[in-house]
Amino acid sequence: MNFDPNLIRNFSIIAHIDHGKSTLADRMMELTDTVAKRDMEEQLLDSMDIERERGITIKASAVRMFYHHTDGKTYMFNLIDTPGHVDFNYEVSRALAACEGAVLVVDATQGIEAQTLANVYLAVDNGLEVLPVINKVDLPSAEPERVKKEIEDVIGIPAEDAPCISAKTGENVGEVLARIVDTVPAPTGDPDAPLKALIFDCFYDNYKGALSYVRIFDGTVKPGTRIRSMATGNEFDVTEVGVFAPTWKPVDSLTAGEVGYIAASIKSVAETKVGDTITEAGRPAKEALPGYKQANSMVFCGIYPADGAHYDDLKEALDKLKLNDASLSYEHETSAALGYGFRCGFLGLLHMEIITERLEREFDLDLVTTAPSVVYHVYTLDGRKLVIDNPTNLPNAAEIDYMEEPIVKATIMTPSEYVGTIMELCQNNRGTFVDMQYIEADRVNLHYVLPLNEIIYDFFDSLKSRSRGYASFDYELSGYAKSELVRLDFLLNGEMCDALSTIVHKDRAYAKGRAVAEKLKDVIPRQQFEIPVQAAIGSKIIARETVKAVRKDVLAKCYGGDITRKKKLLEKQKEGKKRMRQVGSVAVPSDAFMSVLRING
Amino acid sequence: MIGVYVHIPYCLKKCRYCDFCSVPIDETAGRYRSAVLKEIALSKARYPNARVKTVFFGGGTPTALPAEDLCAILDAIRAAFPVEPDAEISVECNPKTIGFEGLRRLCSAGFNRLSIGLQATQNDLLKRIGRVHIYEEFLATYSAARDAGFANINIDLMHGLPGQTEADYLDAIRTVAALAPAHISAYALILEEGTPLYDDVTQGRETLPDPDATADMEDAGMALLEQLGYHRYEVSNFAKPGYECRHNLIYWHNEPYLGLGVAAHSSMVEDGFRVRFSNENSIPAYLKKLEKGKLPRAERILINTFEQMFESVMLGLRLVKGIDRKAFFDRFGCDVIETYKEAYDKNARFDYWDRTDPAFLRLTPAGMDHLDSVLRDFRERRLIDFFR
Repeated sequence: MNFDPNLIRNFSIIAHIDHGKSTLADRMMELTDTVAKRDMEEQLLDSMDIERERGITIKASAVRMFYHHTDGKTYMFNLIDTPGHVDFNYEVSRALAACEGAVLVVDATQGIEAQTLANVYLAVDNGLEVLPVINKVDLPSAEPERVKKEIEDVIGIPAEDAPCISAKTGENVGEVLARIVDTVPAPTGDPDAPLKALIFDCFYDNYKGALSYVRIFDGTVKPGTRIRSMATGNEFDVTEVGVFAPTWKPVDSLTAGEVGYIAASIKSVAETKVGDTITEAGRPAKEALPGYKQANSMVFCGIYPADGAHYDDLKEALDKLKLNDASLSYEHETSAALGYGFRCGFLGLLHMEIITERLEREFDLDLVTTAPSVVYHVYTLDGRKLVIDNPTNLPNAAEIDYMEEPIVKATIMTPSEYVGTIMELCQNNRGTFVDMQYIEADRVNLHYVLPLNEIIYDFFDSLKSRSRGYASFDYELSGYAKSELVRLDFLLNGEMCDALSTIVHKDRAYAKGRAVAEKLKDVIPRQQFEIPVQAAIGSKIIARETVKAVRKDVLAKCYGGDITRKKKLLEKQKEGKKRMRQVGSVAVPSDAFMSVLRING
Repeated sequence: MIGVYVHIPYCLKKCRYCDFCSVPIDETAGRYRSAVLKEIALSKARYPNARVKTVFFGGGTPTALPAEDLCAILDAIRAAFPVEPDAEISVECNPKTIGFEGLRRLCSAGFNRLSIGLQATQNDLLKRIGRVHIYEEFLATYSAARDAGFANINIDLMHGLPGQTEADYLDAIRTVAALAPAHISAYALILEEGTPLYDDVTQGRETLPDPDATADMEDAGMALLEQLGYHRYEVSNFAKPGYECRHNLIYWHNEPYLGLGVAAHSSMVEDGFRVRFSNENSIPAYLKKLEKGKLPRAERILINTFEQMFESVMLGLRLVKGIDRKAFFDRFGCDVIETYKEAYDKNARFDYWDRTDPAFLRLTPAGMDHLDSVLRDFRERRLIDFFR
């Protein structure tokens, strides 16, 4: 009845954005008749619109395929997809933990990138066998031999006989399938032992509730099994188990070595935590699978409805997104400038952008987003430790003993000609140089330690522009370090605007204050009166700009035939004003709160 | 008492900034005169009791039609409605479209005010905005008009033109004032969508002075006009004492007027209700309706009291004198300041009200510079607020 575990292969594909992961997955599904070519929506694994537009995969999912090998046997392949961005590092590590092997796809015209490298290390750390594959060999600029050597030098795995393929044309993809059978070990595990299933992703379905995507390490799960989360102790009755082939297909049971989903009428994905181990309630496993972590928000920002009347709509939208995204956190907050809204926590900047974009696009909300902040540790003179994710809540300088800020270890891979400008960028952003390795004669791997708050605004954009798009970047949180930080405030027409406050390093405060004040001057439209724009640290003004007053706001002509048109024009102008936030006496465009803080480093 | 406006939609050539209803003169011009005559006859039946205190022929360029056509239309108006003996009867003209003979004819027919479109005195600026005449041709028209007997003449000037400097504009004012016309209109250029100039500017082929430079021109121009004896009585209009345009004052006082001709707008009292309607805005559609014996109306809306109040504010605040609070009260039964208290108070904070005469709601010069912003505040008041 159960599939012979020796014929199962569980694997992921590791690739840099645009190196061809999704295309290769599509070809594999076609070759194994998992999906007919004509039914295939382009790049099936990327199901959300935003993912597709950005060419990246955000939520992992998995597909079961059956492969008829030349040895005459039929193998079950479970391809587990991994998110391709640094914000989702933990999710990647759990997806990889569900596999025995990984296919490393490298673009023959590009070579290895920083993120790829980080994920390969994760795979190696998880004990996976890595099968390198050289993609895009059909392109004239392909250099498969150079890239193979790079894989050997940088990663230290043999790549001499790596399949050279074109996922686009399908060339040699069959060889990849055959090599997976040979390279990736079969899963081990005892189907009769107490259940141990690793949740590597989850998804909310309106009818089935929260679904857990799992890899079964030991035991068997079927409808009716009472399961228990080993992280939370919560128990549920399984209503359905199934696989993705490539859409949901219920099966009788999932057993050791297999990959699939479990439905158990769970109300929200917040109760199905990635990395958690599911076991049987009646016969629990002695210990959970290793590696579970509570996902912590790294970046916070305030999200407000552009029109205060839509607060409830925003809350409802966040509630809905939260159903499917356990890593999103939010709580009510009030801003003097913006009214009622939410302090939202994200895994990283990309995660933040995706959520705000989904709120605007899927829920049709106009939002005001404040500048992102990281989480600071503040130690007060009276011995308390405060955790601050909103600059407004920072106590007076006089009460603070010292502060700490989050620090990341950053890896930057770049053609060597851009090393100078990138090092300058890192220095400008308070980076500490760790080391530099030559991967090849003209490519280097730079390591820096950087404060997280320096890379959350526009570091990535600057890196890309300084390297003409060639440098790639990866980072991981490495802890907290003491730092001389101050709160930089902005005053519009003499009134402080809390939504613009930001915490910055003391040495950067003057430059930042000047740059932001200048930018505010440009984005705030001229109004009836002159508006002083000031940057301040405490009560000290460090920069001042002026938005000049509108001189003439009057239509030169208005005669008998102009009345209807004139009234319409006034209505239109009033609508335009509605898209502005009134901060004290000053109207500020909704997008200014975020955009002004993007100052190129 | 009403004002009558007659729209003549023909020009020698359309200027680059113009978005009025006008076309180069063509074969429809012959039928146009009889269509307007028919419209007058139909209007007489519709408004048998109307009495006329001003008539204004505008365009386009009315003088693109032969003077006899204009005289025939004026005669028909007189035949249809009682026209006050001292009525102001204006006609717009552009240089190069009419000479002494024609002007003489208009004068004898009863036209007593002439408005000449000049815009600038520098020929390079005139060319750049697509005017068909040069300054010297204007001068010829002006002296011909004087000789023909026109004593009440307006000259149109513009500022904020492409390539124009403050010195150019002030020069134009001095030059024109030296001719001693009774009235000068001084408009800021309005860049209207759909005009060739708009396309040129938005596509970078032409540049306008920046808004601050235009504002400087305007302020310097106003001061100079005042100094030369032309007092400002409306946002863009200046006159020697007693020569304010009575026809245009009808609009700014929100009084009724009847518009004749293609694309003309009217605001009349019908069956006790104030209505606004517009005529067909294409010449063929206009001609067709009248040739079938129908009034050429395109749209007609009822203006409720609440909208009338706002319109009275919108138009009345354009006048330097402001809104006569008693007249407003007599018409609507409420005080304008009390009715729009919030807007009034808000703008009082900017010192936009001139309170020297409590009988008037009047803007200061700074308030007039921000009239549209003031009006947006008045517009916040909704009909429903009256029921609270």
